[in-house]
Amino acid sequence: MPPSEPVLVATGVARRFAYRRVLADVSLAVSPGQALLLVGPNGAGKTTLLRVLAGLLRASAGHVDRRAPLGMVAHDSMLYPALSARENLRFFARLHGVNGRGRVDALLEQVGMTQRADDRVGTFSRGMLQRVAIARALVHEPGLLLLDEPLSGLDDAASRTLAALLGALRDRGTAMIIVSHQLELLRDVGTHIVRLADGRLGPVEPLAGRDPVEVFARQMQGMG
Amino acid sequence: MRELTRAAWHIAVKDLAIEWRTKTAFASGLVFAVLVLAVLFFSRDPTAVSSQDIAPGAIWVTFTFASMLGLNRAFLLEREQRALDGILLTPIPRTAVFWGKFVANLAFVGAIQAVSLPLFVLFYDVPIWARLPELVLVIVMATVAFVAVGTLLSAMVVRTRYAELMLPLLLLPFLVPPLVSGVQVTARLLEGRPLSDLSGWLRLIAGFDLAFVTLAASLFHVVLDE
Repeated sequence: MPPSEPVLVATGVARRFAYRRVLADVSLAVSPGQALLLVGPNGAGKTTLLRVLAGLLRASAGHVDRRAPLGMVAHDSMLYPALSARENLRFFARLHGVNGRGRVDALLEQVGMTQRADDRVGTFSRGMLQRVAIARALVHEPGLLLLDEPLSGLDDAASRTLAALLGALRDRGTAMIIVSHQLELLRDVGTHIVRLADGRLGPVEPLAGRDPVEVFARQMQGMG
Repeated sequence: MRELTRAAWHIAVKDLAIEWRTKTAFASGLVFAVLVLAVLFFSRDPTAVSSQDIAPGAIWVTFTFASMLGLNRAFLLEREQRALDGILLTPIPRTAVFWGKFVANLAFVGAIQAVSLPLFVLFYDVPIWARLPELVLVIVMATVAFVAVGTLLSAMVVRTRYAELMLPLLLLPFLVPPLVSGVQVTARLLEGRPLSDLSGWLRLIAGFDLAFVTLAASLFHVVLDE
């Protein structure tokens, strides 16, 4: 696959829950090395869009084409509280066909969880849970990352470390869509920004060095 | 096929590791089994009904309801923190989730039955030891049928608000045929009848096994879709 070819293409995606329309005619494409910041008010449909893109929810209409291994961080950690951080990561690594213990240990170190690697996940704080969830999403070195509020629950230092990690992954060619209300922490990560409101997607704007906080504020003024 | 087997194995091992660590479902299943065996034993009039007369029914009622606690647990542990989504994001075939859960549930129910059986002998004073291999065969055959349907239905109800209530309501109608067959075969075995006399019942249970396992495995991917 040529490097510029999108790893995720969504065409005319819609999703309804009973009679309530949550997404309408959403089309987007994400290419390797692109970090798309998905912003919008609460209830705009951001989480639903990520779940549809991940294949966890079926689209009511339209089509999603994923062309790279997918990793996802969602509101819930997708971890087993009765297992340790290391056991959780090994379990998901095995399902992905990754057997190297070294990969799990390296990830635990990257997210700063080596000291608590053998403790049960059920004893972790929200921030620690989020770090292990991020390691879980990265365990198979995905080419596409879908991140729903990845910095939620993290302290400033952990947020900066994670933002740096995401920046490094983007530089290595990982495509990502990041839903976040903490745009100031993702200044050095995002390459593009797009606004979702009332289930409809606005135009994708390249950031090209601009501050995502300002771009978002301008978009909001434009809407107003 | 190899990938399916490998993934199913990892899921089964994970489920059993969690149960081994927490022991919540096993402990409650066991307590429930002892309670049912004791209540049924003491509820009869010993001058009118011998313990051997109610033994076949008692053992199957005990197995059924104690096992249901385990079947409920199978997907409830996936609901907390939505760990099932994590599994569905991996490239494994979705049927592997069924087979993994099925194997783990069989092991769990088998463990409950293995502990309940000596208690059953203790309470009801039934001579099972001479017919133990045949009895184990019947128990395994009937258990396969209801664990298969139970695994499918527990995946179906886990997203509902009243999962613990819904599972017995949906599962019990499916359990009637294998349970009736299991009770009939057990009663005749305890009477000392030879296994060759029971081939009709055994074929019936084998038919339910085949139908329920095939149906559950082939419908499982549908119930995983939100």
